[in-house]
Amino acid sequence: MRRITVGGAVLRGAVSTALTISLMSASALAAPPVDLSKWSPEYVRSIAGTQDFDTAGDCAKVTPLDYKGRLTFWYQGVFEGDPDLLRQYYKDFFATFRKTYPNIQLEEQALTYNDLLDKFRTALLGNAAPMAVRLQILGGTEFASKGYLQPLKPEDVGYSTEDFWPGAMKAVTWDGVTYGIPTNNETMAFIWNADIFKRAGLDPNKPPATWDDVVKYSKQIHDKLGIAGYGLVARKNAGNTPYRFMPQLWAYGGGVFDEATANPTYKDIELNSPQSKAALQASYDMYVRDKSVPVSALTNQQADNQPLFLAGQLGMMISHPSDYNVMLDLQKKATGTDKDKAQTVIDNMRYGLIPTGPDGKRAVVFGGSNIHILKPEYVEGGKVDEPAAKAIICMWTSPEWSLKMAYAGSNPGNLNGFKTKWMKERLDSIKFLDVTTSMLPYGIPFPALPQSPEIMNIIVPDMLQNALTGAMTVDQAADDAAKKVKDLMGGGL
Amino acid sequence: MTTVSGKAEARRTLQSARSDVLRKMWEHRADYAYVLPAIAVMLIVIAYPIYYTIELSFFNTPPGLQLRDKIFVGFNNYTAILTSGVFWQVTFNTLIWTVASTFFSFVLGFAAALALHRDFVGRGVLRAILIIPWVISAVAASYIWKWIYHSDFGIIGAILVELGWAERPPNFIDSVSTVLPSLIVVNIWREFPFAMIMMTAGLQTVPEQLLRAAKVDGANAWQRFWHVTFPHLRNVSTVTILLLAVANFNSFIIPWIMTGGGPSNASHIWITHIYELAFGRQRWGVASAYSVLLFIILMTLGYFYVRALSGNERKDDSA
Repeated sequence: MRRITVGGAVLRGAVSTALTISLMSASALAAPPVDLSKWSPEYVRSIAGTQDFDTAGDCAKVTPLDYKGRLTFWYQGVFEGDPDLLRQYYKDFFATFRKTYPNIQLEEQALTYNDLLDKFRTALLGNAAPMAVRLQILGGTEFASKGYLQPLKPEDVGYSTEDFWPGAMKAVTWDGVTYGIPTNNETMAFIWNADIFKRAGLDPNKPPATWDDVVKYSKQIHDKLGIAGYGLVARKNAGNTPYRFMPQLWAYGGGVFDEATANPTYKDIELNSPQSKAALQASYDMYVRDKSVPVSALTNQQADNQPLFLAGQLGMMISHPSDYNVMLDLQKKATGTDKDKAQTVIDNMRYGLIPTGPDGKRAVVFGGSNIHILKPEYVEGGKVDEPAAKAIICMWTSPEWSLKMAYAGSNPGNLNGFKTKWMKERLDSIKFLDVTTSMLPYGIPFPALPQSPEIMNIIVPDMLQNALTGAMTVDQAADDAAKKVKDLMGGGL
Repeated sequence: MTTVSGKAEARRTLQSARSDVLRKMWEHRADYAYVLPAIAVMLIVIAYPIYYTIELSFFNTPPGLQLRDKIFVGFNNYTAILTSGVFWQVTFNTLIWTVASTFFSFVLGFAAALALHRDFVGRGVLRAILIIPWVISAVAASYIWKWIYHSDFGIIGAILVELGWAERPPNFIDSVSTVLPSLIVVNIWREFPFAMIMMTAGLQTVPEQLLRAAKVDGANAWQRFWHVTFPHLRNVSTVTILLLAVANFNSFIIPWIMTGGGPSNASHIWITHIYELAFGRQRWGVASAYSVLLFIILMTLGYFYVRALSGNERKDDSA
C-alpha cells in the first residue's frame, strides 16, 4: 500500500487546484465572443455598442499601471495611402499609452509596409531588433520559424484565443506554437465609379459579377471613354500586388498551393495549373490585349490608383473602406474645378463584393497584422522588458484599441471590438464598411509558411510582370513562377 | 663554388634589404602610430565585412533558417550565378547603364565646362543653376522623375498629347525596352554637373600663354583645343571618368526608387539585384557571391584609378 505523506497531499492539492483554475480560465472554457456562423452586415450592426470595456483596468491585470520599464517597439504604421483619421488614432494611441503607463519609457518607430520586413530582417542579423514588433500578417511565420520570436498567445495578455479570428490565429502559429497576437484583420471590397459606368453604357448600380465581367467592363470603359477601366497593380516588392491579384487567382480556382482549400497542406504547387493560368490570362487581356488598365500598372501601388480614381480617370479598383476617407481627404486638398470634379467622383463611389470566378467562387485576401515579442538575444542590449511589452500588446489588442487602430481601413483583431460603442459609431460614419465586413467570410489567409513573403512580394509580381511586358508568354510566366516556388520550397539557391 | 658564393651573396643582399626596411620603419614609428587608429578602424569596418562576405558566399541561406544555420555549398553560389539567365541580363544592364551614363555625363559635363570657361554675363548664375541636379537629393530627384515619366499622368506625356505629337502618353518606365534608357537619362542629368565641375577645375590649369602662343602661331579653335587644352586635361579626364564609372557601377538609388529593378528585371543592375537577393529574398549567400564578383571588378577599376593618380603625381614631380 502506498503511503501518502502530508507534503505529497499538499502538493497534489495545489496541483489539482491550479489545474481547475486553469480549466476555468478564459482560454479553456471560452467560446468566441461573437457568432461567426451568423456573420452578416445585419449581425455586425446588431452586436455593435452592446458591451463596454475598461482597457486600462484589463491591462493593469497584465502589467501594473505603475510599472517602471523601457520598451523599444517597431510597428507597421500609417503611410501615404491612409486617411488622416487613422493618423490621428495612431497619435491618440501612443499618447494614451504614455498616460496609462507613465513610467514606461516607450521608444516607438513607425515603418511603412514595404520597408518594415527589410529593416527588421537586417536588424535581426545584427541582434539589434526592437523588443516588440507589429508585423504584417505575412511576416509572422517567417520569423517564428527562424526562432526569433518568443511564444506569445492571447492568454498571456489577458485575452482568450477564441477572441480572435481563427484564420488570423493560424497566421501566428508555427509548429503548433503561437508566437503572436493579431491586432487587426481585414478583407477588401470592389469599388466602382457609378458615373463612369453610366457613361460607358453599363448599369451604374451593378458591379461586375465575375472576373470575366471585370475584363469586359474594363474594355468597355476604356473603349467608350478613353480612360482606364480597372486599377490593376503589378508592382514588385509591394504588398498591394498580392492583395489584388490573389483574389483573382483564387476565384479562377488557382492558387500558389492549395491555400484556398479548407485544410491546406501546401504540398502541391498550383501556380501553373490551368485555373491559375486563366487568372493570369485575364490580367494579360486587360493590360496587353485591351490596354484597358493604367499603363503605369507595373510600377503602381494602390496609392497611385487613388488620385487616378479621384480624377475620374479610373472606373474600378479593389481596396479598403478607408479609400472613401482617403478620397475625402484628397478632395479637401484639391482646388478650383478639381474640387467639384472630385466631389462628383466621391458621390458616385460605390462598394460591392469582389467578383467571383467562372465557377462562382469568391475570394479575398484575409489580411491584417500581428504583434510579437522578440527573444532577448536578438534585441539591442540583450534584454527584453516583458511586462512593458505585454502592456503595449494588451492595449493594442484590446477591444477598444484594436478597433480604433483599424477604424477606417481594417477590422479589430479582437472580436470583442465589434461589440464596442466605437464600432457602432464607425458603422454610422465610415461609408461602405459593412460591404468590406461582408467579405470577411470569403477571406483566405496567405500560406502560413516562412517562404510566403518571397512568394507573394517577389515571385507572384514577377510572374505578372513577365507576362504583361511580353518578356514571357502567359504559360511561360506561370511555369517559371511555379519552378521558382518549387526551388524555393526545396531550399535551393 | 661560384654557385655557392652567389647564393650566399644573394642571401646577404636580402638580409641587408630587410634590415634596411626595418630600420626605416623604426625611424618612421611615430608616423605609423599616427595612422594606426585609422588602420584599426578600417580593419573593423572594411576588412572584416569583406572577409565575412567572402565566407558567406560559400553558404546557402534558405529563408526558413537563421543565418547562423547556413549550409556550406562550396562554389555552388558562384556556379548558380554564372549559369543563371538573370545574371547575364543584369550584367548586360549594368554595362549599358555604366558605359552610357559615364560617357554621356562626361561629354555633357565637359561641353558645359568648355562653354562656361568663356567669360560672359550671367556665367556665375548659369554655373550655379547647372550644379542643382548634382546637389539635389538623389531620392527626391528619383521621385520627381518618376512623376515626370509617369505613364498615365506624367508631365512629358501630357505635353506630348496636348501638342498632338502623341495619341497616348509614351510608356517610359513600364516598358522593358524603354525603362533602362529612361533611367540613364535621369542619371546623366544628375551626374553631368560633377563632370562639369571637375573639368572646369582642369581647364583653369591650362596655361593661358600657351593658348595665346598657339593663336599667334595661327592655330584655329579646334587645333588649340586638341593640341593645347586637351593634353592638359588628359589626367583630370581619366580621373573623372573612373570616378563616374565606379559611382555608376555602384548606383542604387535611382533604379531602386524609380522601378525597383522592374519591369521584368529590365532595369535591374548589379547593386539593386544584390539588394533584392539579400534583403527581399534573404539569399545572403548568393548575394555575397555577387558582391565578391562586384568587388573584384571595382578593385580592378580602383587599380586604374590609383595608377591614373600616380601618373599625375609623377608628371607633377617631373615638372
